[in-house]
Amino acid sequence: MSAGGVSGYAAISARVRAMYSSLLTGQDFLRLSEAPDFQSLIGLLKQTAYGPYLESLKDKDLTPRKVDLQIKGRLADSYNSVIHIAPEQTRPLLKQLYRYFEVGNLKAILRGIVTDPNWEHVREILFPMGSMSVLPAQAMVESGAIASAVELLNNTVYEEPLNFAMKRYSTEQNLFTLEVALDLFYWRQLWQYAKRLQGLDRDQALRLIGSLMDMNNMMWVIRYRVYHDLSEEELINYTLPFGFHVRDEDIRAIAAGVDIASVVERVYPGVSDVEAFLDEPRSGLPQLEIRLKRQVLQQCLAAFTGNPFHIGIPIAFLLLSDLEIQDLTVLIEAKSSKMPEEEFRLYLLRMETTKI
Amino acid sequence: MFFPKAMTELELIVPAKDLLAVTRILSRYGVFHQTDSASYTGVATGSANTWQETASQYAALERRIQVILQTLSLDEGEPPAADSRHDAMIEVDKLREEVERIEEQVKSASERLNSEKKHLEQLESVLHQLEPVEDLEIDIATLRNSRYTYSMLGLIPAANIDRLQTSLARVPNVFLTLRSDSAKPVVWLAGPQSNADVLNRAAKSAYLDPLALPEGYEGTPAKIIDSLHKSIEQAKQKIEELQHTLTNFANEHGEELRDLLYQVHTSRVLSDAIVRYGQLKHTYVITGWVPVDDLPELSTRLKNASREILIETLPTSRYGHNQHVPVALFNNKYLKPFQMLVNTYSRPRYGELDPTLLMAITFPVLYGAMFGDLGQGLVLFVLGLLMHNKIFMKGMQSLGLLIAYCGFSAAVFGVLYGSVFGFEGEHFSHTFGFEFHPVWISPIEDTLPVLGIAIDVGIVLLVVGYLLAIFNQVRSREWAHLVFGHTGIVGFLLYLSFLGLLGMAVAALKLPIVPKIAVAISSLPLPFPVLALVFGLAIMFSEVLINLMEGHRPVIEAHGIGGFIMYLVQAFMDLFETLISQLSNTLSFVRVGAFAVAHGGVSMAIFALAGEEPGFKFWLTILLGNIFIIGFEGLIVGIQTMRLNYYEFLGKFFTGGGMRFDPLTITPAKEEG
Repeated sequence: MSAGGVSGYAAISARVRAMYSSLLTGQDFLRLSEAPDFQSLIGLLKQTAYGPYLESLKDKDLTPRKVDLQIKGRLADSYNSVIHIAPEQTRPLLKQLYRYFEVGNLKAILRGIVTDPNWEHVREILFPMGSMSVLPAQAMVESGAIASAVELLNNTVYEEPLNFAMKRYSTEQNLFTLEVALDLFYWRQLWQYAKRLQGLDRDQALRLIGSLMDMNNMMWVIRYRVYHDLSEEELINYTLPFGFHVRDEDIRAIAAGVDIASVVERVYPGVSDVEAFLDEPRSGLPQLEIRLKRQVLQQCLAAFTGNPFHIGIPIAFLLLSDLEIQDLTVLIEAKSSKMPEEEFRLYLLRMETTKI
Repeated sequence: MFFPKAMTELELIVPAKDLLAVTRILSRYGVFHQTDSASYTGVATGSANTWQETASQYAALERRIQVILQTLSLDEGEPPAADSRHDAMIEVDKLREEVERIEEQVKSASERLNSEKKHLEQLESVLHQLEPVEDLEIDIATLRNSRYTYSMLGLIPAANIDRLQTSLARVPNVFLTLRSDSAKPVVWLAGPQSNADVLNRAAKSAYLDPLALPEGYEGTPAKIIDSLHKSIEQAKQKIEELQHTLTNFANEHGEELRDLLYQVHTSRVLSDAIVRYGQLKHTYVITGWVPVDDLPELSTRLKNASREILIETLPTSRYGHNQHVPVALFNNKYLKPFQMLVNTYSRPRYGELDPTLLMAITFPVLYGAMFGDLGQGLVLFVLGLLMHNKIFMKGMQSLGLLIAYCGFSAAVFGVLYGSVFGFEGEHFSHTFGFEFHPVWISPIEDTLPVLGIAIDVGIVLLVVGYLLAIFNQVRSREWAHLVFGHTGIVGFLLYLSFLGLLGMAVAALKLPIVPKIAVAISSLPLPFPVLALVFGLAIMFSEVLINLMEGHRPVIEAHGIGGFIMYLVQAFMDLFETLISQLSNTLSFVRVGAFAVAHGGVSMAIFALAGEEPGFKFWLTILLGNIFIIGFEGLIVGIQTMRLNYYEFLGKFFTGGGMRFDPLTITPAKEEG
């Protein structure tokens, strides 16, 4: 480890460790999941680090959607903090990692334009990125048409990928073409930024980003094959040739029609019951995705052991924060719809794994 | 100074007729942090919806004007001075009429311009695709309609080329990249007509955009290219004419547009504020926060604007949890860099000690102690002032004062250490012909005492940190944490006992580095091993003791014997972690001394490189060496200082997480610190 590495990460390491300690513990989660109803859950959440984000919500605004939006504010703050104090050379990667939510917002806006072009409705489901976002979200929704909305993205990073995709959209009128183009663009950029780093930073970034990419790539190819009936060539073109654990041959094998379960079980020896999940894809594939996300979670936790002076720790912290909010979203939905514990437990990432 | 500004909660009951006048006062004075009044007892919801609609209309108009300004390549200009014309709410219909009148005139020219630009883009794209096959003596239509061969010429995203080739590995095909342009590569894909569907689906999924010839263009590529060049020239000419028309319009109507924008903006801000008011039967209720010092002036202005206004103030205690109270910090321009450092860590909560002033002392002192050199310190001081005044490195203006303070402190420590641009002791007198002795200590000669003093400094700072944590817990009335918390009284006593043990160990083992404070504590007639054991056990079971004191049940969150054993393991690990962190926090300050010593060491290395004779090579090496030390070591010391302040010091007593004071204004206030 170079002196530059140690000195460069001294401040961020201290700050991230402090923020990491404010993530919910296993006991916190147990308490939250045992809340008898939605109101009690919010009461308990207010006693955690999410409290300040829920303070501003009046009782009448305590809807699952609004609570979900508020707690995401904490993740946005974490990203802003980490990016602000991260070493200069790692910021492009962290900003691109954060752009995941902007891509999500962009997809939501495009879907909103097609289904319900009402800004007040669309706004409620957008991730609160603040000034970090380049999307003129309201103007896009109010433009009322996909072509006009996409035109508003000229001179942003999205201009080039959407330019090509819009040619197809204008003939097919299917948002799938735009969404796939955005996904591929996002992950390719992220991988490029990770590869531009040096030494331990590069290794750690490729390991964590690669694990995340593995999960996405694997779920894409499975879903496209199971639900969309795409040709082998299309499946390959809609997936990525890189990752940490999943090799391109694995993706191409699934695209070529090889038994999916055998490939998944070979790549992820710790994931079982894949055959059963695939037999009932509607309920099984979300379960498979949960299992793969738990693998990502394990990789993130592992980043906190050993040498602390690398970009892996901030990335792992941000991913863990995101996964934590995904779990909280499950709890919020479950408690508001009075779902029994044995049902929603299946969708929680943290209940059966190592506690932070 | 030590705490955020005292705030008071304000409730205003305003007659409907004075609604706008009061809103204008609130937004003009800029000291009122508005909160949502919808939850106020008796508030109707219908009014909010009416105003919400009005606010949306203003917002839409504002965006329309911004689009017009953008189309005319005009900026929004500086906000006009606050006068009655620019803080009034103008009727939305009246504004809309004016916007539509201008929009109509701009729209026709801009739409023709856009359409002409698109046409030009299309022509250039076709030209771009045809140029690589210019020499082919074959009709493009023939190539496309071949009976046995399927072929496709077109543009593709550069990132998709390899993937498309991979996807076609099992399909017979010919794939050529005709133009390796990073933005718009041109490719040609061909294969047997029997595989047309497979090739077509693969090409589409790789976003290959096939060549589409505009109507009227046919024949060989060379012939089409020739026609395209002529069309492109004509399109460029038309674009120029249309741009000229728009420029003339911008010159004539620019000021009018900017004026209109601010009228709409003001109306939008005022109506946005009203959306958050609550409506009672004939009155409106407005709630929010005001700094106590600004309350009398605001009240006077409000009463002048509305005779019947009811003003109720609810003073807020600085004690207890007040996370919903906005935090307004005292903006002292000389402390701004330290406020920035504190805000980077976290914004203080209301009632919590604002550590900015402490940071203003500890940061430069620790920096100076690590980088003590009169000459290099003064260079940093001057550089900082130049940056602060935007004379040098304008982008670093916000750090200018911080660098100047650190430079000044380094210069003072340079006098204490007897170091000028790395020259010390005999080396100094030999080179310059006069003496410059350290006023206090020379780190390079008295290495071990310097390291001991550094640990003592750390102990003092940590003790201050613990005391401030106790002070904060008293203010926030967290009594159980005050007594049994890791940074409460028991945690502090454990630390003192730990220092006593450390002092005993240093004396018994005759260690060369002596932290005098620890040794002094150990000389007190107290049974430190027993005290450490007692307070250690209290920390180990702090969760139980806190739950007991606060009445939380169950006292231990554990199920069965297994759960209890797990709890004991966790409690022990908690104690272990506390002791380790107390040790590491204390020893962490050794770096202050170590960097002071290393500073002298690096200077010696530079003198070794410079040689003995003070000639050109000697002075050049000294100059470059000093630039290196100021740039590289200066930065590293800065990061170490930040680490010590954030992790060892602030982490002890500062929680943060306060809400930013965001007053209602027509023009948003600048970010503090």
